[in-house]
Amino acid sequence: MSDLAVNVSEPIALKARLNEDWLAVMIGLVIFGSALVSISGTDLLGWAVTTSVYTDVAQALNPFAKAYAWLGGGGALLVTYAALLVVLSLSVVTLGADVKKFAIAFTAVFAIAYGSWIIGSYAYIAAVTPAEQQKFGLAWSLKLTNEGGFIVALLSGLVIANFFPRFAEWLKDAIRPELYIKIAIVILGATVAVTAAGRLSLASSLLVRGAAAIVEAYLIYWAVIYYISRKWFGFSREWSVPLASGISICGVAAAIATGGAIRARPAVPILVSSLVVVFAVVEVLILPFLAQTFLWQEPLVAGAWIGLAIKTDGAAVAGGGITESLIMAKAAAEGIKYQPGWILATTTTVKIFIDIFIGIWAFILGYIWTNHIDKGPDKAKPVEIWQRFPKFILGFLFVFAGSLWLAIGSTPEIAKALPAAAGEANIFRVIFFILTFFSIGVLSDFRKLWQQDFGKLAAVYFVSLFGFVIWVGLLISWLFFSGFKPPLAS
Amino acid sequence: MSQSDLKNEISAAAVEPLLPVEKKLIGWSLGLGIGLLLVLIALNHFVPIKL
Repeated sequence: MSDLAVNVSEPIALKARLNEDWLAVMIGLVIFGSALVSISGTDLLGWAVTTSVYTDVAQALNPFAKAYAWLGGGGALLVTYAALLVVLSLSVVTLGADVKKFAIAFTAVFAIAYGSWIIGSYAYIAAVTPAEQQKFGLAWSLKLTNEGGFIVALLSGLVIANFFPRFAEWLKDAIRPELYIKIAIVILGATVAVTAAGRLSLASSLLVRGAAAIVEAYLIYWAVIYYISRKWFGFSREWSVPLASGISICGVAAAIATGGAIRARPAVPILVSSLVVVFAVVEVLILPFLAQTFLWQEPLVAGAWIGLAIKTDGAAVAGGGITESLIMAKAAAEGIKYQPGWILATTTTVKIFIDIFIGIWAFILGYIWTNHIDKGPDKAKPVEIWQRFPKFILGFLFVFAGSLWLAIGSTPEIAKALPAAAGEANIFRVIFFILTFFSIGVLSDFRKLWQQDFGKLAAVYFVSLFGFVIWVGLLISWLFFSGFKPPLAS
Repeated sequence: MSQSDLKNEISAAAVEPLLPVEKKLIGWSLGLGIGLLLVLIALNHFVPIKL
């Protein structure tokens, strides 16, 4: 995902990507672990900034915990920025990046991204229910919830990418959507576990149904798109494999993993990845609103559909977040108040299930290619399954399992304190989502779609995505998730 | 390799016919995928979501 701005002459280092995965695990675990300390009564992260729906911007920002109220909203924002700057700067050093350039660019990225979030929380944009409108004295509002700030952040990034390309270039050192979303997904494990602990039978049922996503993405989507790319558009095998993987499985990670497995030149999957990001942005801007309009009475179908249709981790999981807030807003306006977290958990489950098999699929393709198509001394080896496995998923599973154990296997006191600790970690999940949305926007230069010759690549994507990926995804989601609603909030 | 080289390559590349092994990969994937989906749909029918 973060590869759009990369010059295609630069070889992508698989090693660096793996490091980014492990970094995401470490940062996510540090945040999760620090939040857990609050269970003992010592609040390490209570200074994190939160934003409420507002009409007076002076009232918008606050520290998460009352114990840090003395900081004020502005102070909490500064401390949050400083903490993220330190942690992320240390991280990019290990990736070999220029820390000074990163720090300067990150300052601008954080300012614009969080500024977008604050704008999105303005009551005329965010207020949802008649009660909220009455509370703020509004005659109307866009009813986007405060998570409409994700859309504002994405649009801010798009404006910069398409109208201020030099500024976008200047920001690129801190435009790392893959890193940001992987950290967010690791942290998300805690929220998903707390949500699941309340209704274990429903959660386990959803997990079983996630298996359908694997079959759909790897065995059906991939085969059809590969055929379309090869037969209808005449692309070579080297182009068709990353293209089919990018469109059908999981965007950038899959395109690069399978491209490497068949020994494609590094520039090929990178170019494909740039296309994936642009289309993912279009989907994030459209699909959540379609889901709100047509699927608000089937929230879990909507969550699964977003996970199946949007082809990057960042855009899909973040799109699930927007879809949840939009559908919950619509349901609330109709007097139905669902427990939060279930729609996003469904999207995340579907996406994680798909991600898990990237390494195995890459090995299968690598085996076929190196033994039957491009025979040579460089044969695919089983160890590549592990090498290409997206490691951040281990972080998600660890946080999920740990939180689930604390919720149902530890003392009642810990179980009672856990949701607040997970909520504290969730503040950072939201911030990393915001950074992801903004970064995806900055990487999405739509002019690339109009560039001569790349139109053919885009045409494969367009035909596949709007021709059947979206519709088959909707059908499968409907077959497996229709008729089942999230629990109602008590 | 520059971006313009890649663009030229996309537009000028000769068509590679589908090899039998590619046809097998596509056919087996689709067949297995549809079969497994049918199994999962049946499971979904007989083991419905528990609330």
